[in-house]
Amino acid sequence: MRAIFRRELQGYFFTPIGYVFVGVFLLLGGIFFGAGNLAERSGNMTYLLRNMSYLWMLLCPILTMRLFAGERSRGTDQMLLSSPVSLTSIVLGKFFAACTVMMITVVLTFTYPVLVILFGKLYFAETAATYLGFILQGGCFIALDILLTSLAHSQVTAAILAFGVNLAVWLSDAVATALHGHVAASVLSFFSLNQRFTPFAMGQISYANLLYSLLFMSAMLFLCVRILNRQRTQEE
Amino acid sequence: MIQFDQVEKRYGAHIALQHFSLSIPKGQVIGLLGQNGAGKSTAMKILTGCITPSSGHVFFQGQDILSASQHIRRQIGYLPENAPLYDEMTVQSYLTFACRLKGMPDAQIPAHIREIAEKTGIADVLSRRIGNLSRGYRQRTAFAQALCGNPALIVLDEPTQGLDPVQTAEFRALIRSLGKEHTVLFSSHILPDVEQVCDRAVILHQGKIITDKMLHTRSDKKLRCLIRMGEGRLLPALRTLRHAEKVEALPDHTTGETHVLITAKGDAPIEEELFTLLSSLQAPILRLAPQEDSLEDIFLRAANP
Repeated sequence: MRAIFRRELQGYFFTPIGYVFVGVFLLLGGIFFGAGNLAERSGNMTYLLRNMSYLWMLLCPILTMRLFAGERSRGTDQMLLSSPVSLTSIVLGKFFAACTVMMITVVLTFTYPVLVILFGKLYFAETAATYLGFILQGGCFIALDILLTSLAHSQVTAAILAFGVNLAVWLSDAVATALHGHVAASVLSFFSLNQRFTPFAMGQISYANLLYSLLFMSAMLFLCVRILNRQRTQEE
Repeated sequence: MIQFDQVEKRYGAHIALQHFSLSIPKGQVIGLLGQNGAGKSTAMKILTGCITPSSGHVFFQGQDILSASQHIRRQIGYLPENAPLYDEMTVQSYLTFACRLKGMPDAQIPAHIREIAEKTGIADVLSRRIGNLSRGYRQRTAFAQALCGNPALIVLDEPTQGLDPVQTAEFRALIRSLGKEHTVLFSSHILPDVEQVCDRAVILHQGKIITDKMLHTRSDKKLRCLIRMGEGRLLPALRTLRHAEKVEALPDHTTGETHVLITAKGDAPIEEELFTLLSSLQAPILRLAPQEDSLEDIFLRAANP
């Protein structure tokens, strides 16, 4: 797994993908910070991170599209599949590499709370809880998009598929609100990643939501392993 | 060392491999030949664990590759049909990755890469990006990847495809030299590749083995002769040859000569017996030449049964 992790991490920064992801994320995050905090003279990081959480939905497909679809289109998947590394290790190695790029980006966003500390007042506990939810949500989107890239044969298909599904997951909240009172609304709310983030954004560390996020990531990665194994068995 | 036992692979209604049984002893260089879609790549993918068979078993040193796949894959180096290269990496970092995948300790990797790079002729491009290499160097790099971890079995799927004649000759020499230390399974469309490199050729057609032939042996010795004597007297006499398995004659009535094709029993010394017989019959031999079925003849017969 370490070999896969190291190669993937190198791959992000030997190609423009890692820089594009970090750069675009920080640019859009900076716009949110400038408009929501600097212009409004507000030290409220919760509001900022809530807005920035939209970026996971938009940008995670860039991070994940190459992970399996890219391997398949280059033919390097056969090198991995014929190696003595298990499918679980391959999937986890890629997941942790993508999460590391995500964490690098998150650490770079710490500039915003630092600016707030320098020129205003920061609520540490509330900000820390929101950051935890923010990171968990990012991890969930990465796991979901890794599952989707395992279904695609080209990076473009993987990115479009991931973006579409991310948007559907995001919109499930709005659909649940529209279906208020219906049993489907409860189901959609239960699976909504946005709903799971809400308690963290209110400064609460909810163990149920923490566990949900970890289980969501595990389930997506498990399904990814099963799909890859099935492709090995069937190969269409 | 490797045993395919009644292996079958289906892709929906299409059967890519059927009743595929093949035994490969240690140290042999074996060539898989066949038209596109004959099943060569499928057999290789099954052996390397990229896909699983629909039925049947493959054993590597007595172990089923499905039950002990990770342990076995450590001992197999595989060069797929499309070179599995990461263009953004340098050759050195790519080979380091390949060694790590094989589970080699980091301390041993640099020396191992130097050794492989010398063997495959890429020592001077180790620091270059793969995306900037020529076709020949790219193929060599992919080949070097298959040698990482010093595997007992090397599986090469059309390794000379797209190379120029000089590069092809170098690759043949390289594969031949690998055969001294490793078992090599190698597929190609190019018949001279197989003829010059392999100890044994297996021809596949529509997923089945139709010919399995040891190369560079004299087991199918045939003699083609032109003799000045009519078929009527000559043929009964030739059929008395002790070492002859089969005698075929084609008379030329205008010259009174007969073209004869004699198939010997195994590698029997039939020439001396034939000479003595024809001498006693006072039948001059106008031409005498050994005839071996070339791999091309066998392949073409197999491809157009």
